[in-house]
Amino acid sequence: MRLEPAPSDDPLLSVAPQARRRREREQWQRRRRLERQLHDGAALRASALALQLGLFQHRVPEAERELRTAIGALQDELHAVLQELRDVAAQIYPPLLDEAGLGPALRELAERRDLPVRVRDDGGRFGAAAEGAVYFALVEALGSDTGPLEVTVRGEDGTLVATVRGAGPAVRELLTDRARPLGGTVRTVDPAAGGGPDTIVARIPCE
Amino acid sequence: MRVALAEDGALFREGLQLLLQAAGHEVVAVAAGGDELLGLLASTPADVAVLDIRMPPEPDGGLATAERIRGKWPEMGLLFLSHYAESHYLMRILDIGTDAIGYRLKEKVGSVEVLTDTLGRIAAGEIVIEPVLAKRLVERPRGEKKDEVAALSQRELDVLRLMAEGRSNAGIAGQLYVTPKAVEKHIASIFTKLNLHTDAAESHRRVLAVLTYLRSQRGDD
Repeated sequence: MRLEPAPSDDPLLSVAPQARRRREREQWQRRRRLERQLHDGAALRASALALQLGLFQHRVPEAERELRTAIGALQDELHAVLQELRDVAAQIYPPLLDEAGLGPALRELAERRDLPVRVRDDGGRFGAAAEGAVYFALVEALGSDTGPLEVTVRGEDGTLVATVRGAGPAVRELLTDRARPLGGTVRTVDPAAGGGPDTIVARIPCE
Repeated sequence: MRVALAEDGALFREGLQLLLQAAGHEVVAVAAGGDELLGLLASTPADVAVLDIRMPPEPDGGLATAERIRGKWPEMGLLFLSHYAESHYLMRILDIGTDAIGYRLKEKVGSVEVLTDTLGRIAAGEIVIEPVLAKRLVERPRGEKKDEVAALSQRELDVLRLMAEGRSNAGIAGQLYVTPKAVEKHIASIFTKLNLHTDAAESHRRVLAVLTYLRSQRGDD
């Protein structure tokens, strides 16, 4: 198990990690901005194009069956283009994560891909970086062969606290990799405190 | 039909306005956000309000606006348009109301026929659910529901999907080119196989029962 270095009061030692954390947070914010740019730009243009095609189709005389059908096929193609854009957007930063937070985003994903994860959350929001880190760590973990996970998300003094039950070594490693650059920690819960060998807690400070 | 429209993307808003007019509807109010639309509706009655989900007031102004519209004008139909078809938003929409309400993908209302069908069903009090989303829910039932859904015939799956879209018996019959009587038979068989007990004649309750069934997972209440 990797241990988080002890916090240092030495300004010379703490400056570099702080700059790293800031850069890491900016990366997550940039991903969120890119998703919004896709939504407000290319996606909206393609949707508007589908409407314009519909208008042309309406103006084509009924007798021109082939032309009407061809316009309908173009609209279907635009739908396929937009579905691909949605797939890309979900990998950059899922819009539901941005709009509604970790609980709704993870539940939607579990439902779509029938993934073995149950999520409880208190509806709190923790910023693009902390939420993105936990979301993508769990998505990656669930993509590999992991058993069922039970995730509880809550806030505690400006920190996102995610408790994961059923976490094997892969989940722990993925969460640690995402949490550490943000100044976060991942620890095993003491069995005396109701934890088990497969229960871990990630704590990530929010911006 | 008198239609009010709120959407913050100018290109899409203008395109939809033209298509609505081409479909023979009267566009009585056009706004770039929810607050602006409520202001216009105060002096201009409408039959259906078309709302973008992700518009001002942020983050999901369409939902907040819809709640206020339902509070003030309970008779007004609501059509939500979004770039995403997510069951999270479907459930929030059905929390706002279960009649005269719809949720569709933006690029899927791009023809006069589809717009007219969608708005007509909403104005008639039905629930309209994006077929892409209904199809996904029927094809990806959770947990133990998978075996039960797998026991349905292809025809019954078609009927289940159309029920999840919110269609009435007559609507399902029209889509599948069969008689309403045949649809009733299929529905009775589906409800038996899925162990659902709902008054099949009541279309609103039925769509909720079907959606709840498809979304629930093992161990849920």
